[in-house]
Amino acid sequence: MPLMYRRASPVVTTIAATVASMIMGIMLAVLMGLSPASAATSPSPEPSPSGDFTSTFTIGGLIRDGDTPIEGVEVQVEGDGFDEVGVTGEDGRWTVPVPGPGAYTATLLPDTLPEGIVPRDPENITRDVTLGTTNTVNVLFPTGEGTVVENNIADTILTRFIYGLNFGLLLALGAIGISLIYGTTKLNNFAHGEMVTFGAVIFFFFGTVIGLPLYVSIPIALALSAFTGYAQDAWLHKPLRRRGVGLVQAMIVTIGLSILARYVILFFLGGNIYTIDTGLTATIDIGPATITVASLVSMGVSILMLILVGLFLTRTRIGKATRAVSDNASLAAASGINVDRIIRIVWILAATLTGLSGILYGVFRQVNWSMGFQILLLLFAAVTLGGLGSAFGALVGALIIGVVTEVSTVWIPNDLRYAVALIILILVLLVRPQGVLGRKERVG
Amino acid sequence: MADTTAAYATPSPTETREPVLYSTDLVAGYIPGVNILNGCNISAYAGELIGIIGPNGAGKSTFLKAVFGQVKIRSGSIHLKGDDITGLKADKLVSKGVGMVPQNNNVFPTLSIEENLEMGMFQAPKLFSERFEFVTTIFPELAKRRKQRAGSLSGGERQMVAMGRALMMDPSVLLLDEPSAGLSPVRQDETFLRVHQINRAGVSVIMVEQNARRCLQICDRAYVLDQGKDAYTGTGRELLRDPKVTELYLGTLAADVDADTKARADSAAGTTTGTATGTAGVAPV
Repeated sequence: MPLMYRRASPVVTTIAATVASMIMGIMLAVLMGLSPASAATSPSPEPSPSGDFTSTFTIGGLIRDGDTPIEGVEVQVEGDGFDEVGVTGEDGRWTVPVPGPGAYTATLLPDTLPEGIVPRDPENITRDVTLGTTNTVNVLFPTGEGTVVENNIADTILTRFIYGLNFGLLLALGAIGISLIYGTTKLNNFAHGEMVTFGAVIFFFFGTVIGLPLYVSIPIALALSAFTGYAQDAWLHKPLRRRGVGLVQAMIVTIGLSILARYVILFFLGGNIYTIDTGLTATIDIGPATITVASLVSMGVSILMLILVGLFLTRTRIGKATRAVSDNASLAAASGINVDRIIRIVWILAATLTGLSGILYGVFRQVNWSMGFQILLLLFAAVTLGGLGSAFGALVGALIIGVVTEVSTVWIPNDLRYAVALIILILVLLVRPQGVLGRKERVG
Repeated sequence: MADTTAAYATPSPTETREPVLYSTDLVAGYIPGVNILNGCNISAYAGELIGIIGPNGAGKSTFLKAVFGQVKIRSGSIHLKGDDITGLKADKLVSKGVGMVPQNNNVFPTLSIEENLEMGMFQAPKLFSERFEFVTTIFPELAKRRKQRAGSLSGGERQMVAMGRALMMDPSVLLLDEPSAGLSPVRQDETFLRVHQINRAGVSVIMVEQNARRCLQICDRAYVLDQGKDAYTGTGRELLRDPKVTELYLGTLAADVDADTKARADSAAGTTTGTATGTAGVAPV
């Protein structure tokens, strides 16, 4: 199997993975990233005296295509003289008992995968596994239907570009939500990530768990998302504004709400990663690129919604009033605009768009309890990149971030792609401090 | 003319006309315990152009903000056409017929001129074309540049957009907070001319001005505010030639005014003296 991505040197990969992991601040990830180095220092596996492998130390995992377990896939586990191959059973599970604690590598043998199924991440079919205090370690090798079998770099870039557009467009929906709220209230809403998660989780629950058709589950998810927008303004932010709470204080409140909402979602959803089944897994070839119908539909929906938001802001009376409130809230009030009412509408609209963004993001990747939090910084980056408070700027910023993160994975490790987006943000702000579409206003 | 002026200056008990807007013993302030306005009585009759002058910190802008519901009113009341409008919110006041042009940040910079005017009549969108026509007869250049972003305009042009915006709702009273502030002399002249035009079109105007002399020259009646109280009132010309007002409030300004303007102001005041023989000078309130 030809490697599709140019591999960075192992040292660079290790350092990069370490840095990325530290950015994420996840202890476990740090350990994983460092494991090639720690292999030298950690105790090498001591073959148990009797040499029988009935010990309780095992490495195992589950390989499936979507929800279907794949049988007969081989995974090779090696480590300091130990070498064993595990085969997945009917349930897609494989288990390799190992002699004891220590460092091992698990390698998915891609040739044993059924026709048309490929690893989602061909870069990463070899994993470092460290058995320390736990007896059992699970290794995941996500696989799926032929997402990638290219060997031409231009084709790869094109495919990544299209996925980047999709990602950028769905980010734009959430980013415009942030931008509208920031514009009208000057509040940085850190609970926005959870609004993304909420949309995805509700859609997953009604669409995949209960099994309602899309035309029922999507409206339910959007309606409930809209309600969260209403509730946040009516029960939290409007009273805070009334009491004259400062913007920084209000921002801290949104951070608190974000944490609360995230762990409530964790409580109900659990820590697993779920896949949304839209029934749109067929693929279409666009030139040399292959892309799923779900992605095409997702892009279409995003573009349609963004056009509608654009028309709303430029053509309708309420939309113009929204821009007026963003420009100058006290003058808007002095013109006879009920500013609180506009802000309420903005919260509802922003929450609905963000919920939709979550639905599409859940389809694009997977659903888990912290999915929104993981892209929160990207949303803020998109808004800042485009020009704070400008809805159209948020769209441009989100497209840049989406395309850059996806295309960057052609050259750099997956884990680093979000860092690339933030580096772009810094570079753009150094050149254009007001953002790509932000304007410097004439003073008088 | 002299009789009318006298009636304005001191409304007689038999005067049946109600002022379109009046404040009674208005007390207001920003910080608890500190009053900026200390019992302010100001009234405007239909069609009048009222000037409010006074030293810095006298409460001129605060008075407008209090009328427009932007400062907390501690006691006293404000009536508009007989209705008590004390402490109403801005959007309610706009629908009742009060228009306000703040001193700073008085346009929506990312909106076009036309959209700025549209926002002015957010509550009555159907009348847009009719009111747009009215506003553009006073400010013809706004019609020519309707698609231009207001943020790209100069201070004087912004002032026109701001006044246009406030006129869109066809207000009974227009409150102007220092319309000439920060403008070049030519632009100041133009602004005063436009204010005069707006007033002649039938809109009562209450204008706060730093440029006291110019303000007194064009207004029908004026109030001198001092420490939150209306210290003097009278027609503009009476106040201009009142030695006490000149000494206290115009004296320092007079030094700044160039000789030509001063001469014109003096001759204007002189003419008034000649014709309005019956006026009793300035009566401290």
